[in-house]
Amino acid sequence: MEDEAYTDINGKAISLDCQSHSSLCREFTVSVPKVSIGKVMVNTCIVWLVAYGVFLLTENTAVLSSAIFITLVGMMLHIHFVKVDHESLLVIGSLGIQLSSSYASGRETTTFIEMSKIKDIVINEAIYMQQIIYYLCVLLKDPSEPNAVSSVVPLFQSSKPRLNCLVKVYKSCQEIISKC
Amino acid sequence: MQFVVSFSFNSQSGSSFCGKRFTSDRIPHGTEIMVENSPSPLPERAIYGFVLFLGSQFGFFLYCMWAFIPEEWLHSIGLTYWPQKYWALAVPIYLLVALVISLVLLFGVNMNNTAPLDSVDNITDVYAQAQRTQDCHKGGIPRLKDVSISEVNNMFYLSPKL
Repeated sequence: MEDEAYTDINGKAISLDCQSHSSLCREFTVSVPKVSIGKVMVNTCIVWLVAYGVFLLTENTAVLSSAIFITLVGMMLHIHFVKVDHESLLVIGSLGIQLSSSYASGRETTTFIEMSKIKDIVINEAIYMQQIIYYLCVLLKDPSEPNAVSSVVPLFQSSKPRLNCLVKVYKSCQEIISKC
Repeated sequence: MQFVVSFSFNSQSGSSFCGKRFTSDRIPHGTEIMVENSPSPLPERAIYGFVLFLGSQFGFFLYCMWAFIPEEWLHSIGLTYWPQKYWALAVPIYLLVALVISLVLLFGVNMNNTAPLDSVDNITDVYAQAQRTQDCHKGGIPRLKDVSISEVNNMFYLSPKL
């Protein structure tokens, strides 16, 4: 129900949408701006001009057709496998949490983690490439060993929001998770 | 309170005895002589520096001589078994390229060894999990231990800001 101007770690604008379905159930959706038609046209023109230049040098028409083919296939693979449209986190108290990413082509991947496996949802800082970023993660525990962290599932990996967005999601989640 | 004991190391060459001397009754050593650990100039260091300077100047002069004097002249003097002059160019180039590559390799190895975002090593490790949870000696200084990340998050983000 609220929409403020948040950014991701690189400065690009993203938007956060928090919905409270009930006192025990909340959903957070982080949306990334869609693929802009201007960028697509510019990249396609550059690739085709380079291919035309190579064709002028080599006089081989296969260069042109392969450039067209590669551009089309590359764009299809990108929007189907790489470009994420929005990621959402649904927290249902005493049942579990559901993470889902939906891609630009409409494909959706979902993961459900039940509450008995969840130790906590925390904001952790880690080294990512050449910088240190904050990221929200779910700490999973083995039911046989409730005090040790068995694995970590990072959330919002493709959108990577900054700390103000993460704190909002964290506070909301803790209200539900600490109750059960 | 611990007193600093510093004696200068009396070298074989009989250099001048410099350095302060404090007696201490708290250090139960058999011997009381310690090397002075300050970076100040000392006669031994001056000697080492000068020897290194002379050595490096001589080495450079030798290298230039070997690289520039033609083979026949070296043979005529009697120096016949010196390396090929190819190496006069190859060795510096090899060293510089190796230096640049090692810089790139250092960054690469570091990035490779960084734990990914989904690894438990970013949260805790063997030593933090094995620490004892009970605190002994009430009233004394608590034992140093690792605070769990849930507690840290509570303190940072859930406690009211002052």
